[in-house]
Amino acid sequence: MKVSFVGNFGARPEVAKAILGKVTEKIEPTILYDIGDTQRLIPALAEAEIVVSHIWKSDFPEAPRLKFLQSPAAGLDLIDVPSLRPGVTICNVDGHEQAIAEYVLMTMLALSHKLIDIATAFREKGSWLGGGAGGGPLHGEILDKTVGIVGYGKIGREVAKRAAAFGCTVIAANRSPIADKGEASEIYPLGELDRMLPRCDFVVIAAGLGPETRNLIDAGRLALMKPTALLINIGRAPITDEAALFAALRDNKIGGAALDVWWRYPTPAEPLNRPSQFPFHELPNVLMTPHCSSATVEARDRRLSGVARNIDRFVRGEPLRNVVLTT
Amino acid sequence: MKALFLGNVAVDTYEGIRGELPPSLECAIINDPVDRSLLPAAAIDADILVSNRWLADFPPAPNFRLVQSVATGIELFDMASLPKGCAVCNAFGHETAIAEYVVMAMLALHHRFFQISGEFRERGLWASSWVQSGAPHGEVRGSTLGIVGYGRVGREVARRAAPFGCRVLAANRSPRDKDGDVERIYPLAALDEMLKLCDTVAICTALGPETTGLIDARRLGLMKPGAFLINIARGQVIDEDALYAALSEGRLGGAAIDVWWQYPTPTEPNRRGSRHPFHALPNVIVTPHNSGWTAGMVRRRWDEIADNIGRFCRGDSLINLVTTA
Repeated sequence: MKVSFVGNFGARPEVAKAILGKVTEKIEPTILYDIGDTQRLIPALAEAEIVVSHIWKSDFPEAPRLKFLQSPAAGLDLIDVPSLRPGVTICNVDGHEQAIAEYVLMTMLALSHKLIDIATAFREKGSWLGGGAGGGPLHGEILDKTVGIVGYGKIGREVAKRAAAFGCTVIAANRSPIADKGEASEIYPLGELDRMLPRCDFVVIAAGLGPETRNLIDAGRLALMKPTALLINIGRAPITDEAALFAALRDNKIGGAALDVWWRYPTPAEPLNRPSQFPFHELPNVLMTPHCSSATVEARDRRLSGVARNIDRFVRGEPLRNVVLTT
Repeated sequence: MKALFLGNVAVDTYEGIRGELPPSLECAIINDPVDRSLLPAAAIDADILVSNRWLADFPPAPNFRLVQSVATGIELFDMASLPKGCAVCNAFGHETAIAEYVVMAMLALHHRFFQISGEFRERGLWASSWVQSGAPHGEVRGSTLGIVGYGRVGREVARRAAPFGCRVLAANRSPRDKDGDVERIYPLAALDEMLKLCDTVAICTALGPETTGLIDARRLGLMKPGAFLINIARGQVIDEDALYAALSEGRLGGAAIDVWWQYPTPTEPNRRGSRHPFHALPNVIVTPHNSGWTAGMVRRRWDEIADNIGRFCRGDSLINLVTTA
């Protein structure tokens, strides 16, 4: 069976190699990193029954034999579904939700305890002002705080489980109705998000990017949040309005943010590209990381193993896991 | 009934709880620096002392029957200067804040949070992301956490760590009942056995003869290469030289240190916490003894102190009784 690994994620050497090392069925792989190389992309897609890629563009060449598109990522926002032929099953991966939930709790704690500020002042200047011995100001904690999770899927549930053990009240908003609330005490329909936001000390964006969530957290909704509220985004940056979020943080309309997902990414020409047109990195109330909340050794292994097992299942004619949709 | 609130922490406490005190209670408030001219008259007929200290050279206080410490440690109370039979109580309320710090530090160490966020903010470095092929970081799921000292703080740590999918072990001086969050509780004498198993060791024990220098060069050598150490207890539980060597030579993966071997003085307010430059090591998170220093801790502590004063005035049994002078 012909399998094409395509693009700067699926065909990245250590990704494709790791997946191939875990596949047990016999396959014929093609690996093409640069999707701009049309000369090679045409044959790679013409023959493949399985494509491993996080990206599918509307101008991709014909893929007449394609039946199974496996993304090595969770978000499908770079896959142009209408340009796929009918009958293609699209799967994503999981196994990252535990790592991301750890990141969410870590940043909730770090923002509340002012960890970076206090540790940096102590490291650089020897300042004891963050502590009891120096008589400095008290910091916060997360006990008894209300955490509102926007998008109550696998990640949201893992966050809820951990936050509950800290004595947080967990509420959530989700597009589709939720039968099993898990650790959440209340689930709002996404249409009633405006009723949830004013209650939250933390707003955690754990939704996928789609028509209903693009620009969901705009200036109006940021204004509904408590002036002390802390926003954590591990979903996708365009779920929040870039200019409105920057203004809200700069003007202290909300308490702070931890951002792991961005509006701009590095390119080969600009490897140090700043992640936004606005200087978030100059704001003292922002913790920022380069889209790495899930980049743990263990999550990487769980995800790549998931891809390999799904390829094996397809070859054997068994039902696939993590099916998102069939065109 | 008279109460003496002595020192700046006690004065803050008084302001925080005055509305909850029995109306009949007479209160004398003496701030730091102690005004010795006011202290003898206030001490001579006070029934209750609220403070963090009572030193040997303080004036006579023959009527003290409740000494309520505003802190957990009572080492600054000179027992011989207190009237015989006087109850000495302490205050808690810090354990949840400290437990949050321990789990936060454990996550930050495994996720290399300071390094990754610092490089991204300062230099725009994307090397740790999925989009580039940087070295992945670690996670706490599936790792083993060992808690040295399974008291109030240790139990709160275990409760929060368990849902992360950590294996939680503990070691304690006196026997403790196992609870659902911890897999096994070792006697302190079997600490060596536990240390070998841990990816993270959190020191949550009190300082005493059995724990001074407990984590010495030999025990640090038993820890897994690359393991993390978190200390929120007292600096002296760990051998200062041995820890610096283990960290600077990269035998340990890193540490989060909140408690120190030396503290600031009025003449040296920015004094470093150690004679070694722990603050210059890239794999060490350093904080100025603030893990419990939260608004919630203060409120909980005030509530406990107000509750105990009320109990004393009504003749009910006291909470947080440490000893009787």
